[in-house]
Amino acid sequence: MSAKDRVREKLHLNAELAVQALVSFIKDAVETSRSEGVVVGLSGGVDSALSAALAVGALGPENVHAFMLPHQTSSPDSVTDAEEVAAALGLTTYNIDISPMVDAYFDHYESDPGKVRLGNKMARERMSILYDQAKKLRSLVLGTSNKTEILLGYSTIFGDNASSINPLGDLYKQQVWQLATYLDLPARIVDKKPSADLWPGQTDEDELGFDYPTADEVLYLMFNFGLSDEEVIALDYPETVVRRIVTLEENNRFKRRLMLIARLSDSAINLDREIPRD
Amino acid sequence: MATHLTVGLAQIDCRLGAVEANLERHLEWIAKARERQVELLLFPELSLTGYRLLHLTSRVAMRPDESPIIQRLLEAAGDMSVVVGLVEEGREGFLYNSAVLLHRGEIAHVHRKLYLPTYGIFQEGRFFGQGERLDLAPVNGQVLGLLICEDLWHPHLARRLAIAGGKLLAVLSAGPGRVGSGDKLESQDTWECLTRSTALVNTCWLVYCNRVGWEEGSFYAGASHIVRPDGQILMRASSFEEDLLVARLDLREVDRVRWRVPLLQSHRRDIEGLK
Repeated sequence: MSAKDRVREKLHLNAELAVQALVSFIKDAVETSRSEGVVVGLSGGVDSALSAALAVGALGPENVHAFMLPHQTSSPDSVTDAEEVAAALGLTTYNIDISPMVDAYFDHYESDPGKVRLGNKMARERMSILYDQAKKLRSLVLGTSNKTEILLGYSTIFGDNASSINPLGDLYKQQVWQLATYLDLPARIVDKKPSADLWPGQTDEDELGFDYPTADEVLYLMFNFGLSDEEVIALDYPETVVRRIVTLEENNRFKRRLMLIARLSDSAINLDREIPRD
Repeated sequence: MATHLTVGLAQIDCRLGAVEANLERHLEWIAKARERQVELLLFPELSLTGYRLLHLTSRVAMRPDESPIIQRLLEAAGDMSVVVGLVEEGREGFLYNSAVLLHRGEIAHVHRKLYLPTYGIFQEGRFFGQGERLDLAPVNGQVLGLLICEDLWHPHLARRLAIAGGKLLAVLSAGPGRVGSGDKLESQDTWECLTRSTALVNTCWLVYCNRVGWEEGSFYAGASHIVRPDGQILMRASSFEEDLLVARLDLREVDRVRWRVPLLQSHRRDIEGLK
């Protein structure tokens, strides 16, 4: 069996065991932190749908607080899709329009931010609201970033990549699709083109310049099997795609190692003193 | 020497760094084991302290012969032999990842982990000293060999204990779980490959006591189990839940298997170098 076939086989998880583990992770984290539940932002996409579904499995729908946080430029489909996910999971949803908060900043201080800054601000506004709601509801913020986007840095730092706990962070994108299908999430949500919906018509794969299954396989070959760039290219993955994935991974490491503290003493936090949390 | 021994495996969850809370849990499980007439009860690796301690290691260290925690366990154990896992502070102040056998009011044996994994998610070599001895523990005569997790990956240790007269190998573990594509946890497949082959080639009983629960995003994969001297699994606990496995082991079965399959008797100490 070639490395390429082997990686495809390995990427296919035992869904039952994966779900069992992830459900117990959420349950344990909520109990250990003496929280009462989780808050999650439902975007209408498959990642937040899967996170919410796992949380429902762990805590029951009454302890999963789902928020829809659209901006006036968001696709109307996003809210419709998020509502469909919530209905499928038996969740009550809260809808907070982030346009006034986001627009106030740009209207008053920054007239021409460009779409990336606007999108980043929206992502951070959403996370700011989720953390506030979490405080109010004595809950943890449930993360929705998967391993592929974390490795590629395809996220807004302190925006959608923030969370108290993240059940999806060790799942490649196609494993997210697999578990979402296993949990019977609406097919339309699982099948639709992934989009951060930070501007009209945006899709992840157009913006990244490659498709997720390819990214998953390349990342798996490099991270799980330890192949070099050249060895991956030799397996017939397009060289431009492999180089771009490597560059994204290298350039975005800062998003995965938060709190870069300048060490002066012999007791620097996380360097000299690694104090675990339970 | 009795021909049978009732063994219990306490597959518990442990709270990281919370020794008092873990002690309470140990006391509960000792009581449960007593109801089932357990004679030898095993807890997982670092059961009193939790596993992924990093810089909390020194804060939860104890000198077993002076520890009020151990005193309470000794009182609770009574006639039962109980093996717990803890961070041991040695006389010289070094810290060890140790398994301590409590028996009839005394600390009857201490095994300090010999191989400290320091790769991947494991960081033991940064915080613990290596043990330097490997002896049988006094249970029912000298038939018990204690190993801790990574020790089992170095097959000469089990061999040495078996040749010295060990009929029962007990492995305390904090084995993290991994989910793959197979029908069992990947980590369980790996461990059972190891435990079964160790029992098979050393013709001895082997009990593997793992823990459950989460620490910093990594879970422990349970599936504690008991392997017969012919390498077959007698019973197995679940992967995610706390559990108490109890079995009455026939120690003479070891002798009968060894008469039939004399692997140890034909051991080449001139080549392999073990006494």
